[in-house]
Amino acid sequence: MRIRARGIVPGRASGMAILSPAPFSFVGGVDPATGSIADAATGIAGERLQGRIFTFPTGKGSTVGSYVLYGLGKRGLGPTGIVNRRADAVVAVGATLAGIPMVDRVDVGGLRTGDRIVVDANRGSVELPDVKGKRVVTAVLRNRGQILIVRRSEKVGTFQGRWSAISGVIEGREDPKHRALVEVREETGLRGIVFRSAGGPVLARDGATMYIVHPFLFDAPSRRVHLDWENVEHRWIRPEELHRFATVPRLTDVVAAVLGPSA
Amino acid sequence: MRLTETQRHLVEEGTDGQRKAMEILLTVGRLADAPRLVPITSAHVSGASYKMIGDPGLEFLEDFAQSARVSVPTTVNPLGTDLAQWQELGVPATFAEKQARIARAYETMGVRPSYSCTPYLLGVRPALGEHIAWAESSAVCFANSVLGARTNREGGPAALAAAIVGATPEYGLHADEGREPTVIVEVRTKPRGIAYSLIGLVAGERVGDGLPFFRGFRGTEGDLKWLGAALASSGACGMFHLESVTPEARRARVKGLKSITITSDDLIAARRAHNDGTEADLIGLGSPQLSSEELQAIARLIDRTPPRIPVWVFTSRVVRDANPQAVEIIESHGGRVLADTCLEVTLLEHRFGTVATPSGKAAYYLPSLCKQKVIFDDVETLLERYA
Repeated sequence: MRIRARGIVPGRASGMAILSPAPFSFVGGVDPATGSIADAATGIAGERLQGRIFTFPTGKGSTVGSYVLYGLGKRGLGPTGIVNRRADAVVAVGATLAGIPMVDRVDVGGLRTGDRIVVDANRGSVELPDVKGKRVVTAVLRNRGQILIVRRSEKVGTFQGRWSAISGVIEGREDPKHRALVEVREETGLRGIVFRSAGGPVLARDGATMYIVHPFLFDAPSRRVHLDWENVEHRWIRPEELHRFATVPRLTDVVAAVLGPSA
Repeated sequence: MRLTETQRHLVEEGTDGQRKAMEILLTVGRLADAPRLVPITSAHVSGASYKMIGDPGLEFLEDFAQSARVSVPTTVNPLGTDLAQWQELGVPATFAEKQARIARAYETMGVRPSYSCTPYLLGVRPALGEHIAWAESSAVCFANSVLGARTNREGGPAALAAAIVGATPEYGLHADEGREPTVIVEVRTKPRGIAYSLIGLVAGERVGDGLPFFRGFRGTEGDLKWLGAALASSGACGMFHLESVTPEARRARVKGLKSITITSDDLIAARRAHNDGTEADLIGLGSPQLSSEELQAIARLIDRTPPRIPVWVFTSRVVRDANPQAVEIIESHGGRVLADTCLEVTLLEHRFGTVATPSGKAAYYLPSLCKQKVIFDDVETLLERYA
């Protein structure tokens, strides 16, 4: 599958991904003499950057980080490519000095350490040759500050028994919002829902499948839900209660994409 | 980004230094969605103290100096020690040697060896509306606010790249819209002395990366230097307006803006928050470096109430050389007038544990950058306390 990205430092690179879920500082975060990760908060301390595609949400910390990245690149100890959610000037300038191709605006939460990745900053894309992409919609229904979650039945193909918002697979070239409306009607029977907002896609990973989730927010005029065969149970909850449920991957992030980070 | 023919030529056929500099500007421009590069009349680079940039910075600068040359008048920030007095200060020889190599690399690139955080006190006075590329947050704040010149808060390598190319990405504070205030700050106290620093610290904390429009007080250029330095430390502000004082305040749009208030109680609380020392080992005056007038005033004060603990006064080489009398008075009372370096980027931690200072910027940075406890008060009070 291929993911759209924004090219920051031109070039093309491929390698195995190494992922830090936490923001990263090249000052203190990595040993400048060996290129191995020193920051324990990354969960990948001891791993080497050399030859890898370094993937992390964003840079942080001292501006000296630019020079550290330059030094790593000069000694051949740096990553071959960098993927960020949001590029910051320190890392971007460092990658420029070191000549390391870099892209941002990628939801790194869908990537995994060990993924084969091709970073193409010239055309603005990230390719995962071993992962299959599947475009889906998720409709967050809101009524008086609470949102609807449903538990998936044993008859559906994926994530049986897990809690989810209303969702469905986008077919062909159809408009994601149209699909969201169809799914809400089929799975809840609710009428008269009002579109509020759409969020940027969230990448939810399940093994070799990447769900490209297009989130939508609708206001529901009532709470009278009639489930179809796909779900067995429903609840109206406050967004911050989501963590108490066993949900499909990244549901919290999908909800946050349309409601803000309160969830 | 749209490039001129000359700029495209630099990308394709420039020296290694020119090509790398263009790549840096293109990266920064892409991050900010800048439409083009705007020509600049001066640059000011940060990242000269070995204490701050270490071996990684030294290595980059020496490599870069092999082919990079600046194309506009360029000044650079203070070093990590006074290279004329490092032995007396107890600075390790390896530190001084590496510091000297950093200075040489900048000089090779054609940077003026002023080693100052106050280029605006050394004759670099860009006019109203002039585009410049300055790093050093306090100088950025002064240039934008007090002079009405236009610069973003550049990072060190980006300012150096702009110096080499003679242009910088046009966004943010280069454009009229970017210079509009985002919040009104009503100050309900008449400031003097460190109160200017305190207003800056409090406002920076509350405003973050906004652009404050101050009301309710006045100040000289010297006062606003201290206010801006503190504001740019606790906040990410690159500019402020002060009603009836700064050059762009009159045309700033303030209608409908949210307003916040700073009272004398807020200043008292802020001073307390930045005081964690009990006994000072050193009185540190600088951050930013002192002007001639400030240096002379300090000499008079020290002459009247000579302190029993060391006083280190930080200024530029130009100001030090222009005031031999003041330097002599301060040094005859056991103090030191240090040039080419400044309080929070100099090596202190090898000798001291607590520094007394009237600078808000120093009070903000000394704990993290120099591992110091701080006593933050007016210089008159400090000199009396340690007389």
